[in-house]
Amino acid sequence: MVSLSVDLHRLSKFVNLALPALAVLFFLAGRFLSFYFHFFTVAFLFLSIVNYFYLYVQTEHSLLRNFGIVAQGRYLIESVGPELRQYLFASDTEERPFNRVERAEIYRKAKDIDSASFFVSLKQFDSTEIKIRHSMYPTDREDLIPYSLTYGEERGIENAYSITKPIIISAMSYGSLGRQAVRCLARGAKMAGIPMNTGEGGYPKYHLMEGCDLIFQMGTAKFGVRDEEGYLDEEKLRDLAGKDEIKMIEIKFSQGAKPGKGGLLPKEKLTPDIAGLRGVPMGKDVISPPHHKECKDKSTTVSFIRRVQEVSGLPVGIKLCVGSFEEVEELVGEMVHQNIFPDYMSVDGAEGGTGAAPKAFMDRVGVPLIPALARVNKILCEAGVRDRLKLMAAGKLINPGRQMLAFALGAQAVYTARGFMLSLGCIQALQCGQNTCPIGITTHDPTLQRGLDIDTKAMRVRNYVHNLEHDLCELLAASGRRSFDELSMNNLFIPEDSTLAPLLEDPRNLAST
Amino acid sequence: MKNIASWILRIFTAVIFTQTLYFKFTGHQDSVEIFSALKIEPSGRILIGILELVSAILILVPGTVVYGAILAWGIMGGAIIGHCTVIGFEGDNLSLFLLGVAVWVSATILLVLHRDQLPLLRHMFEKPNSSS
Ligand SMILES: Cc1cc2nc3c(=O)[nH]c(=O)nc-3n(C[C@H](O)[C@H](O)[C@H](O)COP(=O)(O)O)c2cc1C
Repeated sequence: MVSLSVDLHRLSKFVNLALPALAVLFFLAGRFLSFYFHFFTVAFLFLSIVNYFYLYVQTEHSLLRNFGIVAQGRYLIESVGPELRQYLFASDTEERPFNRVERAEIYRKAKDIDSASFFVSLKQFDSTEIKIRHSMYPTDREDLIPYSLTYGEERGIENAYSITKPIIISAMSYGSLGRQAVRCLARGAKMAGIPMNTGEGGYPKYHLMEGCDLIFQMGTAKFGVRDEEGYLDEEKLRDLAGKDEIKMIEIKFSQGAKPGKGGLLPKEKLTPDIAGLRGVPMGKDVISPPHHKECKDKSTTVSFIRRVQEVSGLPVGIKLCVGSFEEVEELVGEMVHQNIFPDYMSVDGAEGGTGAAPKAFMDRVGVPLIPALARVNKILCEAGVRDRLKLMAAGKLINPGRQMLAFALGAQAVYTARGFMLSLGCIQALQCGQNTCPIGITTHDPTLQRGLDIDTKAMRVRNYVHNLEHDLCELLAASGRRSFDELSMNNLFIPEDSTLAPLLEDPRNLAST
Repeated sequence: MKNIASWILRIFTAVIFTQTLYFKFTGHQDSVEIFSALKIEPSGRILIGILELVSAILILVPGTVVYGAILAWGIMGGAIIGHCTVIGFEGDNLSLFLLGVAVWVSATILLVLHRDQLPLLRHMFEKPNSSS
């Protein structure tokens, strides 16, 4: 084997000698045969200089220092590796976060093409996956109860807000998304009749252009409603809440991709427009602190929720990724104690996406959605306050199958961010933080945004919602229930070694293998 | 600072190139003599003229400075070789040679100034990323 493989060491030695030698050779040819040979003389001279630089001047790259220009080939090939793997070598079910099969379903739903699978599913059918139980006696379609959910009804407020579809566009700030993508989503939301969360990008200028219902998100930096120190500016909040389109306020405590870290918009993506809407200086990464300045412990947190409810007069929800269940228990206990509840609580799974986050946070911090949602639901039930607020969920809930799991675990509506990015045509190039998104979604470069035609893509968003809703109704009917409220964990087939197994109310439902 | 220097050098290079390529395309006597001495008259004269034109354009467009500079570096490298081996430095040829060296130096400086745009070499000069 060894004798057959290319000896990089010898090859590079050869090349290192050959480059200047060729330069000399061509020089002689240019001198004595034809002056044209000097074209090659200068070319090889240039390469020799680059090679010299690699070998003797630069110190950053060991491979180039040892092997010179030959090793460049490795870096070249490495740089196209991800694309090559994606195009040629990755199997249909092995890409992350969403494999080709999962993505294809969204693309087809968004284009309103039949997304049925044929012959067999590519999922696992041993005992490790949670499945949905169907009933021998499926519900007739006309017996299904039309979906409706009213936020704020528990408090009996005047501005209670009802949705009629169980899917909402999850927070993606203008900043992480380009303006074109924001407008595609907003127009699509309007067409589909669903609300859209603004994300923590400050004043929702581009969202408002399309006139869809909005949930204004107040991140830990409170862009759009902050004073100079980063505390809540009540006047600004009142102004925003007074806008017709803004139906709810969401206080974000943490998100699954970077719980405990706050937010970060890389300076590459900061434009004067964004800086203006957020009220921050140019040229520096825009950092959101890890927590709201007002919220130091459970009691200040709960009173802050009340304050936002009072100032805005709208339903107010909270978004968090669960770190410890004890903390959630304590927080709920404090809510009971002060008799103050947010109008909804959205649980973000650790698998959530983002425009930019440190890798360790993305990979390792936070409880994944399925166990987190189930436990939070249980905590609320046990505290006897499940009917005081709505429960929502996010975390890879991009297809109807997984959304059904969330409903069975207690969610009353689902959020998805990346599902909607995929519906816009996201190819998962994984460059969200670099301003180079080839589709034009997470970039502010107008030449790339050109790829997104607002009308076409808004239609895709609408189709996606429509087809999700359709599939969800079918799943609901198959499970023999009439509304999502009637679903429970007993509608799931839960393997014995699942994190959910200990939470099952009726152990007879445990699938023993 | 870097920007001003870069623009001065770019305009300098482009101006010199447009001047000399004008002589080349119009078949000015000096130009014809030089290329005859190199034994590549007339096709070499036209070819080099075209390359100078391309280089001048590339060097002025912000996104392609480095490509223009590499080209200019090569063309002037050839000119310097020509002077040293065939044409010599007598009379007008000395000032032509010095002009060639000046452009060559300017192209080299441009390459250094814009090293973070060099194809392939670029990654070598990226500043450490401050954002996480
Ligand atoms: C590009 C992008 C930007 C996001 N921006 C925000 C944000 O501003 N605020 C927030 O709370 N979550 C943000 N998120 C997280 C999503 O709202 C959501 O919680 C998470 O991605 C999980 O949903 P998914 O798996 O359906 O994408 C962002 C996600 C993405 C992909």
